[in-house]
Amino acid sequence: MKKIFLLLVLITVFAACKKTVIQDHVYDNVIYDVGKTVVYQSSAQKTRQKTPTQFISILYSDLFQNSIPNNQLNDLSVMFLANGDKNMITEMLVSNYMNTTGVKLPTSAAMRADLDKFIDATFIRFYLRNPTAYEKYYLKNMIRNDANITPELVYSSFVLSDEYWFY
Amino acid sequence: MMKRRTFIKNTAAAAAGVILSPYILPSGRLFAATGTRLANHVVFVLFAGGIRNQESIQQAYVSAQTGFNTSGNMMSNMLTGNVPSSNLLFNLWNPIQTNSIQSQGVLFPNIQYTTGPTGHFNGHTVAMTGNYTNTGLNLNINPDMPTLFEYYRKHTSPTKSAINSWWISEGLVPYPALNYSKHPLYGAQYGANFLNPAAVFQQYSSYIANAKVYQPQDVNRMDGMKTFLNNSFHQSASNLPGIKNDSADDQAIKTFISNLIAKTQNNQITWPLPPSISTNELTGDLTNIAYGWEVLNNFKPELTVINTFNLDICHSDFSNYLHFLHKADYGVGWLWNKIQSTPGLMNDTIMICMPEHGRNLAPNAIYDANGLRAFDHTGDANSRSMFALIVGPNGIVKQNQTFGSSGNPVGESIDIVPTIAKILGFDTSIPNGMLPGNALSQAFI
Repeated sequence: MKKIFLLLVLITVFAACKKTVIQDHVYDNVIYDVGKTVVYQSSAQKTRQKTPTQFISILYSDLFQNSIPNNQLNDLSVMFLANGDKNMITEMLVSNYMNTTGVKLPTSAAMRADLDKFIDATFIRFYLRNPTAYEKYYLKNMIRNDANITPELVYSSFVLSDEYWFY
Repeated sequence: MMKRRTFIKNTAAAAAGVILSPYILPSGRLFAATGTRLANHVVFVLFAGGIRNQESIQQAYVSAQTGFNTSGNMMSNMLTGNVPSSNLLFNLWNPIQTNSIQSQGVLFPNIQYTTGPTGHFNGHTVAMTGNYTNTGLNLNINPDMPTLFEYYRKHTSPTKSAINSWWISEGLVPYPALNYSKHPLYGAQYGANFLNPAAVFQQYSSYIANAKVYQPQDVNRMDGMKTFLNNSFHQSASNLPGIKNDSADDQAIKTFISNLIAKTQNNQITWPLPPSISTNELTGDLTNIAYGWEVLNNFKPELTVINTFNLDICHSDFSNYLHFLHKADYGVGWLWNKIQSTPGLMNDTIMICMPEHGRNLAPNAIYDANGLRAFDHTGDANSRSMFALIVGPNGIVKQNQTFGSSGNPVGESIDIVPTIAKILGFDTSIPNGMLPGNALSQAFI
């Protein structure tokens, strides 16, 4: 009886400790609602993989800070279907976007002027969470030690990483 | 002094090394000793859309229609026979082949599609998996049984990357699903590259046309950052639906796609059209064949499947069905010409052509503008009978021979996968029970 009581107490404590994640987004919506921000406590809370349509919609929103036009979303869904290697076509799409007017990119100078702020903002923008201390330390060093790393390369790396495919 | 046991062990290892070491062919190619190949390249043209033997190998033209008696060959590139001399529904194109493909290989005039629905997706699935299927029509799912690509990649030694196998489809849903199966022992890791050229190079190319080609140093920078980010994450997106090329192949394919988009935009694509024929005459089938050729020419893949599909118009327009048949035939003749005039492919490629299924004997109720009746494909005996052509180097593929007849059919739709396995030398490595069909060995010397 004592054990059961102890178990109940533990469950209650841990349940109470579980941090609440505010999920304002309905990812099945075709158009990503860019006006709100979800902040995950950690990447471990992301367990579901985005569909290609969700991925494209969110990618556009994150890069252009605007909703993707419906016709473009439909076209790109077909484009994804028309290629067997989804990673490859994603990379081509991202690099094409990076070559397109309208992508919201900071300058290299702005990035390097305040690396802490840039890294925090990049994690929030693409991962919807804050970086861990280690992530921040590592990336900061990486950027600081290589003058040729640009915001474009950083953004591309984020959107082409595994975590970006999950929510 | 060497001990007896060590001596035996070393001798056995050396002998095994000799037996298992790769052979170098006269062509300079290298492959494992296990599995003798007949050729190093296979192009399987799924001459699809549902084609009746009446209008193809029987050369009936319109004579199978009530009230019409003109017959003749609409496929002068693929088949031997005279073109119709009257009642022409459209201008005939002069063949590109001096001698028909039939005369350069083997014709199986009565390939059987024994069981299962005669739907387009089913027909494609059967031809590409070597197993009959009862899966419902047009389900956009990967097949249960492995595709020929997976057998090829898993059982070829040394292992081949996906850049060696391509599935080039004229249509989209559900056909992208045929580049790999959901079989637990095979799957995407052994799948082929898939392309729907019309979408990638024409309709939607603007979305990737300006894709940057990053300098290798920048690629390394991004890879380094991605690796760090991926190592910090507990899940992998590697289970994304689809195949994944390795890094070198990925770059090669990206460059190829970018170049081909530019070539398309600059009107530099060579189309399978006779001289002086306008590009307005292009069909989806010819477009698919043209881009399929670009893949073949660029990568020299060992296993390529290209389909046609426009002939499905036969559900409602028999005249255009004949027209598309005529054009698709030209496309196949053009493709074979390209293959046979390109170093690295010529005299080392075997091409197989087969419809995915036939069409009904009895017409439906629809008449076209010329008063010709249309045909569906609902599983009668006629829709289960089609032809196959196998063409290849003299000395490897028999020339100008026919096997089977309507009274004595030879071959089934499920025999194409074992036939390709035999050509590429991995037939003996496929586990027993996976493929119920037999190689069409009659075609080979």
